[in-house]
Amino acid sequence: MLTIRSLQTGYGKVQILRGIDMAVPEGRIVALLGGNGTGKSTLLKAVSGLLPVWSGAIEFNGEEIQNRKPHVIVRRGLTQVTQGKDMYPAMTVEENLRIGAYTRSDKAGVAADMKKVFDYFPVLGERRRQLAATLSGGEVQMLVIGRGLMANPKLIMLDEPSSALAPRVVLDIFRNVKRINRNEGITILLVEQNVRMALLLAEYGYVIRDGVIHIEGDARDLISDDNVRLAYLGGTVADAGAEMAH
Amino acid sequence: MGLLLDFAIVGLSIGIVYGLVALGISLIYSGLDIVHFAHGEVYMIGAFIGIAIVSISGVPYFGALVGAMIVTGVVGVVIERVFYRRLTRGGGGYTVAGMGMIICGFGMSVALQNVAYLIWGAAPHPYPVSFGMPIFLGNIALPKSYLYILVIALILMAVLHTFLTRTKLGLAVRAVAYNKDTSYLMGVNVPVMISLIFGVACAMAACAGVLIGPINYVQIEMGYLMLLKAFAAAVVGGFGSLPGALLGGVIVGLFETLCAGYLIASYKDIYAFLLLIVVLMVRPTGLLGILVKVKA
Repeated sequence: MLTIRSLQTGYGKVQILRGIDMAVPEGRIVALLGGNGTGKSTLLKAVSGLLPVWSGAIEFNGEEIQNRKPHVIVRRGLTQVTQGKDMYPAMTVEENLRIGAYTRSDKAGVAADMKKVFDYFPVLGERRRQLAATLSGGEVQMLVIGRGLMANPKLIMLDEPSSALAPRVVLDIFRNVKRINRNEGITILLVEQNVRMALLLAEYGYVIRDGVIHIEGDARDLISDDNVRLAYLGGTVADAGAEMAH
Repeated sequence: MGLLLDFAIVGLSIGIVYGLVALGISLIYSGLDIVHFAHGEVYMIGAFIGIAIVSISGVPYFGALVGAMIVTGVVGVVIERVFYRRLTRGGGGYTVAGMGMIICGFGMSVALQNVAYLIWGAAPHPYPVSFGMPIFLGNIALPKSYLYILVIALILMAVLHTFLTRTKLGLAVRAVAYNKDTSYLMGVNVPVMISLIFGVACAMAACAGVLIGPINYVQIEMGYLMLLKAFAAAVVGGFGSLPGALLGGVIVGLFETLCAGYLIASYKDIYAFLLLIVVLMVRPTGLLGILVKVKA
């Protein structure tokens, strides 16, 4: 569904991505892993159109989308869910969700999707009239995921949904991401630093380092891969796998 | 007592006019992240365009008001697209917080003043409208234009408030004002929204110009003092806050009118800045400037 071929880009004259090749098949959850400053966010920006691409191709749904404007790419069904801090604090929860549906004009569909978001994240329904600034960190993360859903996307790119959240909250959010993937058939590209959690959720993983894909493989293999383990796995959520299964 | 009421109505009306210009400055500040130093000149141009329209026979004052707002709004969009937009590109986004934009704003202010000079000359122009007899409140006579200011400003505020809170476009404007990249990812066409914000802000300034025209003369240097007063209003209310801009305008207008009325009238223009200094000392964020500038 999303194919990236030898993508190179950066900021100004500084090159960050040195030829990325990736594929995210339809209906799957794919993880993009890596530490700080490895190029994860740069890749997301390039795919969603916020950053010009120097060379290479990004193909979404059979159409090349590199260097298209962000608002055009969103309309194609590719939505980026940014980190929680990028919600609109001075707007209510409901307004945050409504701006997520900005590209749509089908009122009935938007209303139905808002109901769906409240089904996934009931706490958002309870707080729909509150300002987003009053939400907790976990609720904010739910809000930005819900906002992404409101665009009725085919593919969601999730930017570090676990950042700065307690493991229990992360678990809850990841469980919902899995449900969204399964029930709505939405393809997920999960970008994470929390490698162990991400690999429990995803089916396939790419590890990015210094602007290139360093290792890739099935999530199961990556978890037991010594290189990945050495480089990235701290391993503080050992029981998470068992809990995810429920 | 009658005198106090008179001062209060005059101060409120003048204050609302300050507030309208301050509203535009705040709108541009939150939308484009720039302080627009040529906004006083936009206000002046708007007042002149109003005169030009009202001079066409058969056009009523309110027609000129709406016409001046539309024409000035379009002029504003052209200014933003042709001049300011180029500068924002250098910064990699839509924002340039640096000196370039400030100098460009001052340059635009000088340029607009000279354009106005070439078209309309340096002499003060009276507004060619008549509202008939003033209204008598007890023993004081109040020109009707003050009441028009109150009514029109109230309508305008209601429209703007409804637009920002009830419509999808207004929601997008607020979104862009807070965070451009995120709004882009929501599918909002950010460059178009920025033009819209700038155009609306210029239309508000034109409205202020046409409203004040019948009270003062219109002349090419009227913008500079208005800019300073509107700044004072925006800062007193809380820079970047839209309700704050209006509140600040009303406070500045009332304060300077009352002070000029009861203290020394010739110091009228000083009181606004006295108030500004006091507010900055006591509450630097302004009255409503708490949750405003916590931008990502």
